[in-house]
Amino acid sequence: MTNKGNISSLFGKSPISPLQQHMKKVHSCIKEFGVFAKAANAEDWDKAQTAQISISDKEHKADKLKKKLRMNLPSTFMMPFSRRDLLDVLLIQDSIANITKDLAGLMMTRRMVFPKEFAEDFINLTGLCIKTSAAALVAINELDELLETAFSSRERKIVDQMIKKINELEHDTDIAQNEIREKLFTLESNLPPVDVMFYYRAIEWLGETADAAQKVGSRFEVMLTK
Amino acid sequence: MEIIANYGNVLIILAIIFGTFMAWGIGANDVANAMGTSVGSGAVTIKQAIIIAVIFEFAGAILAGGEVTATIRKGILDAALFTNEPHLLVYGMLASLLAAGMWLLIASSFGWPVSTTHSIVGAIVGFGAVGVGVDAVAWSKVFRIVISWIASPILAGVISFILFRSLQNLIIDTKHPFDNAKKYVPYYMFLVGFIVSLVTIFKGLKHVGVSFDTFTSYSLSIGVGLLVAIIGTFLIRNIHLDPDENKDFYYASMERVFGVLMIITAAAMAFAHGSNDVANAIGPLAAIYSVVDSGGLIGAKSSLPIWVLLVGGTGIVIGLITYGHKVIATIGTGITQLTPSRGFAATLAAAATVVIASGTGIPVSTTQVLVGAVLGVGLARGMAALDTRVINKIFLSWIVTLPAGAFMSILFFFALKGVFGA
Repeated sequence: MTNKGNISSLFGKSPISPLQQHMKKVHSCIKEFGVFAKAANAEDWDKAQTAQISISDKEHKADKLKKKLRMNLPSTFMMPFSRRDLLDVLLIQDSIANITKDLAGLMMTRRMVFPKEFAEDFINLTGLCIKTSAAALVAINELDELLETAFSSRERKIVDQMIKKINELEHDTDIAQNEIREKLFTLESNLPPVDVMFYYRAIEWLGETADAAQKVGSRFEVMLTK
Repeated sequence: MEIIANYGNVLIILAIIFGTFMAWGIGANDVANAMGTSVGSGAVTIKQAIIIAVIFEFAGAILAGGEVTATIRKGILDAALFTNEPHLLVYGMLASLLAAGMWLLIASSFGWPVSTTHSIVGAIVGFGAVGVGVDAVAWSKVFRIVISWIASPILAGVISFILFRSLQNLIIDTKHPFDNAKKYVPYYMFLVGFIVSLVTIFKGLKHVGVSFDTFTSYSLSIGVGLLVAIIGTFLIRNIHLDPDENKDFYYASMERVFGVLMIITAAAMAFAHGSNDVANAIGPLAAIYSVVDSGGLIGAKSSLPIWVLLVGGTGIVIGLITYGHKVIATIGTGITQLTPSRGFAATLAAAATVVIASGTGIPVSTTQVLVGAVLGVGLARGMAALDTRVINKIFLSWIVTLPAGAFMSILFFFALKGVFGA
């Protein structure tokens, strides 16, 4: 006579670890893009292809994690943050992986190689975007401690610092992005116009990953204030 | 009167069998809910939980179970109305025991949420109102009990909210949570010992024939509280800060200190549960015994015989050993997100609420009180995800269990009347 109406039915599955796992997967996706960008720049298309497939695969896995978390989040859950905010953070996290996948796909199909004048800058920008995403992951990983302290002011201050760090990094990517655009602008009359169009697009998309990482941070902040 | 003279022994033996069955059911099922938060927090192993439960359920039943037993036995019904037909009270109490036991079996096999408390109260009110007459029920007392079913989970929630916030301010949200845990945890231990012993000494012990004056009562309670605190301090002295385990999670060492506190709180919870729920099984038994023993006199000033409490305590322990340990394991592993600090706040709040209810003689549902206490921690933003569907289940159990218990006891009441004669 096991009684299912027992106390354990009160405890739902915590969404915290799944959210962190999702962000981890998303970050591994953009990290792989670093490998891809270097290979593409060296015109090593075999290596680039492997990296691009791996990015797609990781994006797909992140997508699955996203769906699983959503399915396990009934509206009857009482959580220390709003369900809406949590789902928003999840969606924004996911967009980082989506943009990365699209960007790698675009560069792969077009066998995109940047002009020497700013190829190095693009690699550097990639590195900055990865750092921004890493900073967002660090903040999301702090959710365990936040819960343990019941979202105390002391722990919130630590997270505030982390979010500040994300914002600073995102600002750096903005500057780097502009520098590349300026260089591209001076070169564009001598380059094939369609290529130029897609160079601009690639730079824009790469910058968007950092924007998304920053949004993860700011939405996370909203989530904590409840 | 003849019926009681002729069938007295048979009726008492039946009552003992049914009462033991009920107590067995409580031990097999209910205790697991009371111990679930302790096991789930990882601070208490299943084996330890069973040992704690056996000792403190028994102690709670014997030392502090008298007041609720008295309510079940003679508080819900107006005994004066049975003066001319004492055998009806015996039939009714037997029917109630049988009805509550049966309902527990049926509901559990379907996985419905049930409460022994609600089934027995529903059953007694049922046979009283229908079998004897609406006036037979002490409605004001019943009303108080029903109000307390709503109030007790809320009270537990408020206490656990405050308790958890105090932990947050004094220990968790500080620069050195581990050091502060070691510093303040003994005070909480004192609190556990003090509250439980105070209620027991004031309200419970008189039923076993021991009584103290106010000053002695307070002194004794403070003494017990200090003793608990000293034992606890001794235990946490051996816990040291381990920087390695705190790399991934900064609060791992602090939680180990709460783990020790949790063991003490688990004992308090088992005690509280024993003091309240054992009455569901032995209250009717006590009522039947006192009628039969006095040869049919209602309201004879007989005190509660210890052996009746022993029947209840033993039944619970047998239930635990034969079946309850499995349920404890199932429930304990189902609760993973509860850390010792949360488990402590929720369990102590629940234990305090139940012990106070026991002291005032009100039968409450331990499980529902515990649900209220955990929700209180959740409101303080201490829990990752609580499924509030459980609240619907609680309402459902009120709506379904009361009429079901009542209906079945009416049925059994008339059946017994048919067998033994009106």
